[in-house]
Amino acid sequence: MININVKCFSQVKYAFGKDELNLELEVGATTLDLEKIIREKADGKLDTVSLRIALNQKYIPHETELKDRDEVAFIPPVQGG
Amino acid sequence: MILTPKELNDQKNEFTVIDIRPGEQRNEFPVDGLETVVVTEKDINTISGKKVLICQFGIVTERVILTNNLEDTYSLLGGVQAWMEFQSDQSDLSRWSRQTVLPEIGIEGQKKLMNATVAIVGMGGLGCPAAQSLMSAGVGKLKLIDGDIVELSNLHRQPLYGVDDINRLKVEVAKDRLEQLNKNAVIESTDEYFNKENGMNIIEGADVTIDATDNIQTRQLIDRFSKEANVPMVYGGLFRYEGQVAVLNVNGSPGYSDLFPDPPSSGETCEDAGVLGMLPGIIGNIQALETVKLIIGIEQNLIGKLLIYDGLNHQSEIIQL
Repeated sequence: MININVKCFSQVKYAFGKDELNLELEVGATTLDLEKIIREKADGKLDTVSLRIALNQKYIPHETELKDRDEVAFIPPVQGG
Repeated sequence: MILTPKELNDQKNEFTVIDIRPGEQRNEFPVDGLETVVVTEKDINTISGKKVLICQFGIVTERVILTNNLEDTYSLLGGVQAWMEFQSDQSDLSRWSRQTVLPEIGIEGQKKLMNATVAIVGMGGLGCPAAQSLMSAGVGKLKLIDGDIVELSNLHRQPLYGVDDINRLKVEVAKDRLEQLNKNAVIESTDEYFNKENGMNIIEGADVTIDATDNIQTRQLIDRFSKEANVPMVYGGLFRYEGQVAVLNVNGSPGYSDLFPDPPSSGETCEDAGVLGMLPGIIGNIQALETVKLIIGIEQNLIGKLLIYDGLNHQSEIIQL
């Protein structure tokens, strides 16, 4: 198993009521697997929200395999101004 | 008490000008156009009549006057740096002396600001503080665009407007207020919403465009014109206590379409999600700060990066795009 620290921003933060989540995933899990888990755990609150993913403070456009102790941030677009 | 270079120039026969700088600095930066005497701090009081103290940036002299409780004594605002600039081309930059003293800015940086044009799309919660700070910093020209009118619910986060301005066009009120901050600046206002027809006209010719809109569709349009005109875009967005800032489209660097590719889902606007007025104040000022850095060419900046600031726990995260 691998441990992943998930940083929550904007709607993700409000969906979970937390700034961070610590999750245990199977070895070989990818960023998209994690996104799927996050969406399921949010219980519908993120269904209409598109999310960008940053791995260890760097945007990643493609599915990437996660390693133990990676930090993953889910960043939704925001509107207000 | 303070005297600007222009005021000193107009009345220089009425004052004894005292240079309190150390000898090394006096030799390195001589003063032209003024007859000066060199006196140490403790002997200033031995000189009678009206006096002007000069130092390199006009900061030490203010402290000396206060500390020694000197009467009939003025400090030259901006010091020798501002005086020499006034001597060379009659431009009085002394009002910006507190920022020209910063080595990254200096007189050359200030002149870049004064020659710069910044387009601001949206004069709401982000546009108001950004415009206010850029005007105060000495930016020479602002192009403002917004078709909205001032409403009562805007006032808690849009500090350019007051209760007497309700139902007036935001750009009209903003222009009036901003002109009071710097009468030499040029402010062009367009009382329409940014769209496909007027967008290029707003962005073209500007050095930087500030995205201070409240919706993703307009943001995508700014991104498109910003790329086409090769004018950098300083993006800002808000969600409740959280703000995002990124500097986009700088000579081919990532743009908004890289940050959030089509079609991003719409988060809530400030009207829907709620916002405290300080948050757009902070984020709009970070956008203004990044704009100043772009104009002057300060290397530490948010080009190709996304800053996420959380006003609840005061944590920030910078993501490399």
